[in-house]
Amino acid sequence: MITQQAVSDFLNAGGYIADEAIATAVFLAIRMEKPILIEGPPGVGKTGLAKALSAALDFPLVRLQCYEGIDEGKALYDWEYGKQLLYTQLLRTQLDNYISVSADLREAVDRLSAEESLFFSKNFLVQRPILRSFLSEKRSLLLIDEIDRSDDEFEALLLECLSDFQISIPELGVIEAKRKPLVILTSNGTRMISDALRRRCLYLYIGYPELEREVAIVRVRFPELCEDLARQMVEFLRKARELNLRKPPSISETLDWAHVLTILKATELTPEVVASTVGVISKHQTDLQKVTELAEQELAS
Amino acid sequence: MERIITRFVAALRESGIRISPGETLDAVQALALAKMEGRKASRLLLRLTLIKNVNDIPTFNEVFNCFFNRFQCVEPDADLPALMDAAINDMDGEFTYLNEHRDDDHEEPGPLIKLDSEISPEDLAELKSLAEIDPDDSDGTEIVMQMKGYRGKAKKPPRPTRRYTQNPLTIELNKSNSYGHRVTFTPEEQAAMQDVVSKMMLRLRKDMRRMKTNQNRGKLHVMKTIQKNYRHDMVPFQVILRRKRREKPRLVVLCDVSFSVSHASRFMLLLLHTLHNQLLDVRSFIYNRDLAEITEMLANMPVNDLMETIDHGDIVDLDENSSFGQVFLKFKKDYLENLRGRPAFIILGDARNNYDEANDWVLDEIREKARYMLWLTPEDRETWSRGDCLMDIYGSYCDKVEVVKTVDDLSLVVEDLLRDIYADQAHPIDRKLLREAKAAEAKSYDSSDYYRRGTNNDSEPVFDPEGRKHW
Repeated sequence: MITQQAVSDFLNAGGYIADEAIATAVFLAIRMEKPILIEGPPGVGKTGLAKALSAALDFPLVRLQCYEGIDEGKALYDWEYGKQLLYTQLLRTQLDNYISVSADLREAVDRLSAEESLFFSKNFLVQRPILRSFLSEKRSLLLIDEIDRSDDEFEALLLECLSDFQISIPELGVIEAKRKPLVILTSNGTRMISDALRRRCLYLYIGYPELEREVAIVRVRFPELCEDLARQMVEFLRKARELNLRKPPSISETLDWAHVLTILKATELTPEVVASTVGVISKHQTDLQKVTELAEQELAS
Repeated sequence: MERIITRFVAALRESGIRISPGETLDAVQALALAKMEGRKASRLLLRLTLIKNVNDIPTFNEVFNCFFNRFQCVEPDADLPALMDAAINDMDGEFTYLNEHRDDDHEEPGPLIKLDSEISPEDLAELKSLAEIDPDDSDGTEIVMQMKGYRGKAKKPPRPTRRYTQNPLTIELNKSNSYGHRVTFTPEEQAAMQDVVSKMMLRLRKDMRRMKTNQNRGKLHVMKTIQKNYRHDMVPFQVILRRKRREKPRLVVLCDVSFSVSHASRFMLLLLHTLHNQLLDVRSFIYNRDLAEITEMLANMPVNDLMETIDHGDIVDLDENSSFGQVFLKFKKDYLENLRGRPAFIILGDARNNYDEANDWVLDEIREKARYMLWLTPEDRETWSRGDCLMDIYGSYCDKVEVVKTVDDLSLVVEDLLRDIYADQAHPIDRKLLREAKAAEAKSYDSSDYYRRGTNNDSEPVFDPEGRKHW
């Protein structure tokens, strides 16, 4: 029996500091067997949550990266044409013998079509991520990353998989999931996801974390960084986020910066330190300038 | 408990959030699974299961606070500040948002307004007195009356086909008068425009994609075909063709920014600005008596700043009377020569020339350069030849004249235009099919004598609402 507290604890143990909303969402997703749709700005740990969960729960991670033009052949299953052709070539003599028994053409076709299922069986099925996670013996974690990059058609394709945990393959019939996977969908909100998909999911918005949580995240990942510096760093980044930058620094930038500062063995944040490492936190030329200006103002004393 | 949840869901629906019965069931199930642990936890649960969109979260918080405040006073262990909050909420319903950020919403997305958490009752009273400055005190209503008279509407009963009581533009005009002189767009207006544009994009995208695949009828792409058919033992089941390069359609827009049509042209500018990067290559001009190009500014400045600059008269003088004749002359002199490609040409204005020279021969020259000419006017057909309005003269040079009154009208017109432009660039076979379809549609309505009708004899122009969509 799993509780919210337990979820939060084992995520913390895995190095992912979850707030209450995240822990509750994960708890509900596990208990209600419903997918979670996570939205939020890039770099706040949406994919990271899935990875941390898969490590903490010991569910194998099956990842499906979406892109424009992805279709069922890439996401669900595909037939292995090459293998099918190879087998028909190799089995030609057997097939000749098998058919030669029949009296006329009609009977030959009948005999052959009776064996058709041989070539459309699981032997020739290429399992793509979704099918793979459905057929996994162990309960798996299916990560459908950046769903907003795919087309509407693909979204519609997912509806059946996500609500009933089954896949219809015309040649084989309906394949149901052996163990219902824990499904996590992430989106950066570049496109509106349809209501039909939203309705089937729990909706979790991960924004920029509060001060304490962000400091804790930095401390967990980089214990050698002293507490004061971590706090100073996070406070500075929080101010930078209010600057209306083109790409505001998110948690992944915070962590990169912390990494850089530990390598440089910095002990205090000064305008010079910021100026030399500013490329880590801002990724646009106009942003660079704004951030250095902010450093001059805030850290001058 | 189920009853409370369903009533809460009903309250949410009333505030405009769409919630399906399935989600309600989820919420009940979730509450049963997790033990109820106070207000914050149950709010989290409800939000996770009921709300499926970031934009709905602030509304949800508001409704949640309002809805569950009523039950707060019966809880024995409620602390005093919370009770006081509830009391304040009861007194001043409109101040709920002040209390909202005091509790636990730090992780809430969206713009957070930093507020001093210590708000004394005096402050509240002060705030309230601020709200009491009634917009009705200003002379807004008078201006509205004038506007309506100006539009030639006062004499006629409203026509059922145009619902101009719900007409957003008219409403906007009323609003802008009551706030003094407001020129910038509110976030809601920008969001509404985004909404209109995204709907339009969605409708367009499907057609575009179909046309695009048809346009691929170029030469055979040998490498890709081999790659694709490797699995079929090199039997070319699937043929990949080279895609032809295609340029973005060009558009030239002239917007009147004089007082009479300023609001419509602002929305036009915003619409084009939104579209500019995605589909079009737009050159935008604004004019009153003078003409100026604002393409660069639209691309580089925040829209609201630009609107303010325009409104201060920094770009073109707004105190002058608008003169279409002068504007056309200037356009011919300065810009006509360096128009690239064959752009589609849109003019937005009421064609009221203030009895200046018409100079309509310029339009004939522009016509030669343009692929297509479209005139958008906010005035109804029956006023086109009254007073100083030269719509009938100018209109005879255009491919099409559309009456546009709302943002929705505007988006429909632009969508039609885009379709036409894309259809023009389509493959010859497609183009032929499209043309035939259009001809078949237009056959039922003969538009050749349109601009002469009603002007030769003294009879009123005949207007049939059914025919409008064919023009």
